[in-house]
Amino acid sequence: MSESAIITTNNVNLWYNEKRALEAVSMKIPKNTVTALIGPSGCGKSTLLRCFNRLNDLIDHVKITGEITLDNKNIHTPGTDVVLLRKKVGMVFQKPNPFPKSIYENVAYGPRVHGVKDKADLDRIVEQSLRHAALWDEVKDRLNDSALGLSGGQQQRLCIARTLAVEPEVILMDEPCSALDPIATAKIENLIDLLKKDYTVIIVTHNMQQAARVSEYTGFMYLGKLIECGKTVQIFEHPREELTENYITGRFG
Amino acid sequence: MKKVKSVVSASEGTSRFSFLKERAIKTLFFCTASLAVVVVTFILLFLLRDGYPIFVDVGIIPFLFGDTWAPTAVPTLFGIFPLIVGTLLVTIGAIVFAVPLSIGCAIYVSELASPRVKSVLKPAIELLAGIPSVVYGFFGLIVLTNFIRVAFDVPTGETWLAASILLGIMALPTIISVSEDAISAVPPEFKEGSLAVGANRWQTISKVIVPAALSGIAAAIILGIGRAIGETMAVLMVAGNAAVIPDPVWNVLSPIRTLTATLGIEMGEVSVGSEHYSALFGIAVVLLIITLIINLSAVALLRYLKEGQYAHSERKPLIPASVQEPFKRVAKVILVAVLIVFLFVAAPGYLAAVILVVLCVLYFAKDRLSRKHIQKISFGIIGAAAFIVLAILIIILSYIIINGFPALSWEFLTQPPKDLGRAGGIYPAIIGTLYLVAGAILIAFPLGVGAAIYLVEYTREGRITRLIRNGVDLLNGTPSIVFGLFGFAFIVLYLTVGVSLLAGQITLALMILPTVIRTTEESLKNIPLSLREGSLALGATRWQTISKVVIPPAVPGIVTGAILCIGRAAGETAPIMFTAVVFSSRFLPTSEFQPVMALPYHLFILATNVPGASANQYATALVLLILVVGMYAIAIIVRYHFQKKSRG
Repeated sequence: MSESAIITTNNVNLWYNEKRALEAVSMKIPKNTVTALIGPSGCGKSTLLRCFNRLNDLIDHVKITGEITLDNKNIHTPGTDVVLLRKKVGMVFQKPNPFPKSIYENVAYGPRVHGVKDKADLDRIVEQSLRHAALWDEVKDRLNDSALGLSGGQQQRLCIARTLAVEPEVILMDEPCSALDPIATAKIENLIDLLKKDYTVIIVTHNMQQAARVSEYTGFMYLGKLIECGKTVQIFEHPREELTENYITGRFG
Repeated sequence: MKKVKSVVSASEGTSRFSFLKERAIKTLFFCTASLAVVVVTFILLFLLRDGYPIFVDVGIIPFLFGDTWAPTAVPTLFGIFPLIVGTLLVTIGAIVFAVPLSIGCAIYVSELASPRVKSVLKPAIELLAGIPSVVYGFFGLIVLTNFIRVAFDVPTGETWLAASILLGIMALPTIISVSEDAISAVPPEFKEGSLAVGANRWQTISKVIVPAALSGIAAAIILGIGRAIGETMAVLMVAGNAAVIPDPVWNVLSPIRTLTATLGIEMGEVSVGSEHYSALFGIAVVLLIITLIINLSAVALLRYLKEGQYAHSERKPLIPASVQEPFKRVAKVILVAVLIVFLFVAAPGYLAAVILVVLCVLYFAKDRLSRKHIQKISFGIIGAAAFIVLAILIIILSYIIINGFPALSWEFLTQPPKDLGRAGGIYPAIIGTLYLVAGAILIAFPLGVGAAIYLVEYTREGRITRLIRNGVDLLNGTPSIVFGLFGFAFIVLYLTVGVSLLAGQITLALMILPTVIRTTEESLKNIPLSLREGSLALGATRWQTISKVVIPPAVPGIVTGAILCIGRAAGETAPIMFTAVVFSSRFLPTSEFQPVMALPYHLFILATNVPGASANQYATALVLLILVVGMYAIAIIVRYHFQKKSRG
């Protein structure tokens, strides 16, 4: 890979209790690109994604070995500020999860917890983030309405805006379109395409067409192992591994 | 090919029979369910019937707002305004004491505690709920009032402050458990969303989780208020009971008298049918109305929340966002003002100043502190709240155990009392309590379970179920002393049963009925619909499905609920005080129509009316505590056992 890597994993293993969910995963995520993780259900792609912002810490009895680095710094060294890590590595979830607050408050939440107090600054960040998430025009007249009144697709873009508002370097997306209809999905996919200019996006998807449409790099996972990883074009057109080919051509999945 | 004759065949005759049987069973359950409504109606009717004369003679306005309560003076004066004010002040004090502790403790249990700490704290909170109110009153009378008398250098510790602290402690478990449920019910996605933008744990808790649970916490507080307002025995024992409005009105060291305490004190000595008698029933009506309003609003709030869970996206916030900000600011100012006044009155001068300075420093340093430090301080405060709750339980239990244990002996448990309880034992009281409780549960259990089965299995939500549910809610919110008055007016006098075991059993049964219904309903609702559908799809009838598929897995839950009710009934004093008990008796009752001794009432009289019975007081309190807490412990163990089993 020619671009410099922002995230690297080296021989990462993960256990839930006794069950091994990730096995010797080593990969590099190039900067300012969209990387897709694909694979059948339960293959560990979401688990891997949640390693990158250490959200697996919330679950009891999780054990991780191996090395994950962000900007060449190991994120598991003792003394790592998890809070700071999560500011740098934002996340959009499978199901839109806006807080039960107003649209404005949802976006302003991140900057606020990071200490932004000035009203004008907040206004600017909120507008910028909503514009960036292609939601501004739809909500600019009702910023004080509850975010729960938005449609599913709008809620998901609001969650993206919420993530953008803390200016992360990497955005993790965990099947961001699985709860959305095709039109809302198309909007999010366009948005992802725009985002890669400023951010590194890692997207988990079970929709192979989506992976082919939005990503430049793809990793195929199966039973906790990273089977193959490379340029999306290569993975989809000339897969090196037979497993990958079987999955992509729909022989299992 | 010849068709094989089916082994499973249904003939016309049997299906007709089973149809009639189904109808009969359904009707039976309907009758048990409507009983709750009937009881509520009867309570209202009989309170009004006996209270009506006072509203006519004195007039509603002078009765409610008259400033002197002197029922035995000449001429008599029946103004209950000081009592209403007393009730409100005591309740406000209790809430100021209980809310910060409870919410801190609830946050600690649901968000911070490790599984091990949690497994200690949760049963501890349930035990706190299990201690009978007369034991709280006893503890308050012996320990708390003395502490206040010495700490504030006042002639008597029986004050508003003592009553408020005691009621606050009693309201703790209610507020903690309901707010903990509300906090735990906040979807984990909110938490993940907040952490994912880099908020730390305290920011997530304070800005996302608690706000999302706010309506549930509000309902918890309202339920706590209901609990505090309806309490009789504990308040009566520590409040001093002077029917005056404190002067000045925030003087927490003044004695005070509540509506419930007035009933508890005067009902026993009033001549039936007099103006005073009717005034007491007038008080009961007022009390009932106040508690009904409070409990119904809590129930409505909780129900609104439950419905909100399903219509998530369309739900509007209870308070529109635009009003929320100024509203919050005003609320903050009021809260601070109340706290400052309370602080200066409640704490000796120098202590108040110290606390105030510390708070000010914290407030102004807030912006300078890093959020890591804020998190540390906040977690420290929350942990302290949980620790205080645990400490309160340990202090009460150990105080009674240490003082009661030496006086406990085989003779004490098996001998009748001598010299008004100063010597001898409490055998008749133990047996009396067991009789009362056994009778109450025998009456309430079948009725309650039947009602719950009807509500969950036989009807859809409609006008009738709503009526029945409201009946159950109203019954649940009715103060125990009101049950006592109703039992006296209806069972003892109107049905001419007399002060007797039977009257006490029925009164207690009515009191625990709503709890039996509630817990049974909960256990039935936990049985997945798919089980019922599976059974019905095989051609089983409703009743076959219920009796063979739905009830068996629900039994542990139902039994746990029943055990909790037994514990509660064993510790209650107010409902049996006028319906079933005598203070000292050498004999056991030989029929249902004789009065009995009972442990809680015995303790109450020993603690308040018999000087020089101190050793026996502690021992009686200990026996009562063991009996009641033992029941709760059994219930907790049963539940834990079955939970483990169902998890495999």
